[in-house]
Amino acid sequence: MSEEAKNAKCLFSEEHVRLIKENYDDWFKNCLRDDDRAMEGKYFTHSGIPVKLIYTPADTEDIHYMEDLGFSGKPPYVRGVYANMYRGRLFTVRQLAGLGAPEDCNKRVKYLLDHGATGVSILFDLPTIRGYNSDDPEAEGNVGQCGAAVDSIWDIDAFFADIDLGTVSTSIVTHLPSTSLVIPGMYFAVAEQRGTPITKLAGTCQNDFIMETCVGSAPEILPPSVSFRMQCDVVEWICKNVPRWNPISFNGYNLREAGTNAITEVGIAVANAIATSEELIKRGMKFDDFAPRMSFFWDLHNDFFEEIAKCRASRKIWYKIAKERFGAKNEKSLLMRFHVQTAGVTLPSTEPLNNIGRSAIQGLAAVFGGCQSLHLDSYDEAYSAPTEEAALVSLRTQQIIQTETGVVNTVDPLAGSYYLEYLTEEMTKRVFAYVENIEAMGGLVSAVESGWLHREISNYNNKYQKDIETGAMKVVGVNFMKSEDANITPIEVFEYPETYRRQKAKLKRLRKERDNQKVKGCIKILREKCHSKENLFPYCMDAVKNLVTHGEIAEVFREEFGLWPFPLIS
Amino acid sequence: MERKIRVVMAKLGLDIHWRGVYLVSQFLKDAGMEVIYLGNKFPEQIVEAAIEEDADVVGLSTLGGNHLALGPKVVNLLKKKGMDKIKVFMGGVIPPKHIPLLKKKGIYEIYGPDTPMEVIIKGISDSVSVN
Repeated sequence: MSEEAKNAKCLFSEEHVRLIKENYDDWFKNCLRDDDRAMEGKYFTHSGIPVKLIYTPADTEDIHYMEDLGFSGKPPYVRGVYANMYRGRLFTVRQLAGLGAPEDCNKRVKYLLDHGATGVSILFDLPTIRGYNSDDPEAEGNVGQCGAAVDSIWDIDAFFADIDLGTVSTSIVTHLPSTSLVIPGMYFAVAEQRGTPITKLAGTCQNDFIMETCVGSAPEILPPSVSFRMQCDVVEWICKNVPRWNPISFNGYNLREAGTNAITEVGIAVANAIATSEELIKRGMKFDDFAPRMSFFWDLHNDFFEEIAKCRASRKIWYKIAKERFGAKNEKSLLMRFHVQTAGVTLPSTEPLNNIGRSAIQGLAAVFGGCQSLHLDSYDEAYSAPTEEAALVSLRTQQIIQTETGVVNTVDPLAGSYYLEYLTEEMTKRVFAYVENIEAMGGLVSAVESGWLHREISNYNNKYQKDIETGAMKVVGVNFMKSEDANITPIEVFEYPETYRRQKAKLKRLRKERDNQKVKGCIKILREKCHSKENLFPYCMDAVKNLVTHGEIAEVFREEFGLWPFPLIS
Repeated sequence: MERKIRVVMAKLGLDIHWRGVYLVSQFLKDAGMEVIYLGNKFPEQIVEAAIEEDADVVGLSTLGGNHLALGPKVVNLLKKKGMDKIKVFMGGVIPPKHIPLLKKKGIYEIYGPDTPMEVIIKGISDSVSVN
C-alpha cells in the first residue's frame, strides 16, 4: 500500500466528518430533551463498553477499510475467514447428542443426522468427564445424566454403530485435557478397527485446561500445570497423526457460562492459545504445524451487537497475534475459526417457550458474527438435556435462519454499521489489554494457579446476580413482566434409569473378557510416562485398545500427579 | 450476642457447576449467616462436616442429575446420627416432577434456577426460627 493510500482519510473525508461533528453538537443541544442528555454516558454494553445514543461516521473516522476490515478471506479477517463465506459452505448445524447409555445416544445421533444435521457434538455424563467408571462409588447418581456414559472403547463403538466415521464430523465434548487424552483415542481406535484411516477423520475435541481447573472445577482436580501439559500433549499428537482433526477448542463458552463477560471470554481463550503455541514451539514444532488446526468456541449471549462485535474482533485479534507475534507463514494459521453455542445461562426455567425466541436471536447474532458451526440451546435448558422435541425445534430454528431469512446470502451484512464498527474496535482494544494483563502476571498458567481467575469469575457472578436481584438487569418473565400463571408449560425430562445397570454389566463383562495382564502392563507404562516428558497420548491410546477403562487411566493420573485444591474453599 | 445461623453448603457428588452454589453462599454470608462452603462432597462427608460445624442448615447444589440418588441420602444419614434437626435444602436444576418426591423424602425446600436470593435467605431463616 502506498504511503498516500495509508494516510488517506479512511471511510469519510475530513470535511465530511467535520460537518457531521458540527451538526451532531447542534442536534445534541437542540433536538434532545434534558432527560436524554442527562442519560448520555449512562448506557453500557454487557461488558461495560459505553454506548452513545447515536453513532455516526465521526465515531468510525479512524477506521481504514483495507487495514482494519478488509475483504472476507483476507487480513485482518474481520469480515470472515473465507472469501465466499456461507455461499461456499453454510455453517455446520451441530446439535448436541448425549444422554443415557451409548446405545441410546446412537439413536439420537442418527435422528439428528436423518433430520439434516451435518455434524454432531457428543456429550458425556459427569463421571465420564471427570474420569470415573460408571460402577465407581463416586459416580453414584450421575451415570447417564447430562450426557452419555463412556467407560471403554466398547462404548464409543456402540455410540457410533452403523455411522460412517469417515464422513461424519464429530465434536467430542471432552472438556478436560485429562479426558481428551483418552476418549478421542477411543474414537480413533474404533475408526482404525473399522478400516477407516485416522487421517480421514474430521472433528474436534474440546480440550482446555481452563475447563479442568476453573470452569468445571471442584476440589480434587489435576493441578493447572499438569492439565496444561496434557492439553499440549493432545494437540501435539493429533496434529502429527490426525491431520483433519481440531485437537483443541479454546473454550470461551464454558468460562462465559461459569461467569464472565465477553472481554474475559475472548481474552482468556486467546491467552491460552498463546501459551499453548509457546509450549508447542518449545517442544520443537513450528507455529504453522499446529495453528491451522486450533479452533475456538464462543458463547453468544444476549447483548446482540456486542456479541457480533466480539466475533468480528476475535478474528482480527488472532490474526495479529499469529502474524506479528508468531510470524505465521501459512495463511490457514491466521484464521480464527470458531464454533458457537447460544447462552444456556440466559435461559430461565420460567416460561420456557420464551427461550426459543432468545436462542433464535442469539443464533442470528452468531451468523452475523461469521461462525463456522452453531449449536442452538433448547428451550428446556433449565430442566434437563434437551428432549427430542426441544432438540428438533433448535435444529429447525437453525434451518430457518439458513434458508428463510436471506442473511447468509451476503458476507458480514452488518459491516459498516457505525455502532458495530465502533464496538468491534473497542472489543479489539479491550481484549488486547486483558491479554497483556495476564502476561504481566506471568502467563495464564500462573494466573490460574494464583486463584485470580476464580476470583474474576466469582466477582462477576456476584454483580450479575445483584443486578438481577435489584432489577438493574431485566429478565422477561423472571423479574420483569412476570405473569401470574407462570410455568404453565409442562416440560418432560429425559431419564435413563437403566444406564447404570447396563454400564455396570458391560464393565463386568469387559473385565472378564480382556487380557488383564496386558491391562496391567499398559497401566504400568502409563504410570512411568507420567513422570517423563513424553507425550502421554499414544500410551493412553494403546491402553484403551487393550480395553483399559477410562476410569482406570484417570486414576493413574490422580495418583501420579496429585490433586489441586479449589482456590475459593472457605 | 445472637448466634448466627450456620449453613454448610456443598456441591453434590461429581457435579461441576459451581456458579450457583458459590453465589448463594456469598449472598447468605452477606445476609449475616455463617457459611461453610465445602466444595464437592459426597453425603457421608457432608453429614460429617455438618455435625462438626454445628450447622443449622445444609445446602446441597446439584445441576448434574444426581439429586434423587444423593439428596435423600444426606437426610437419612442425618437421621441415623440423630441430627435430623439439621434442615436439608437443595438447589439447582431439578425437574419439577421430582420436587414432591424429594420433599417426601425429607428435603426441607428446593430452589430452582430463577429463585430470587431473598426467597432463599428468608426460607433458611424461617426454617431455623421454627426450632
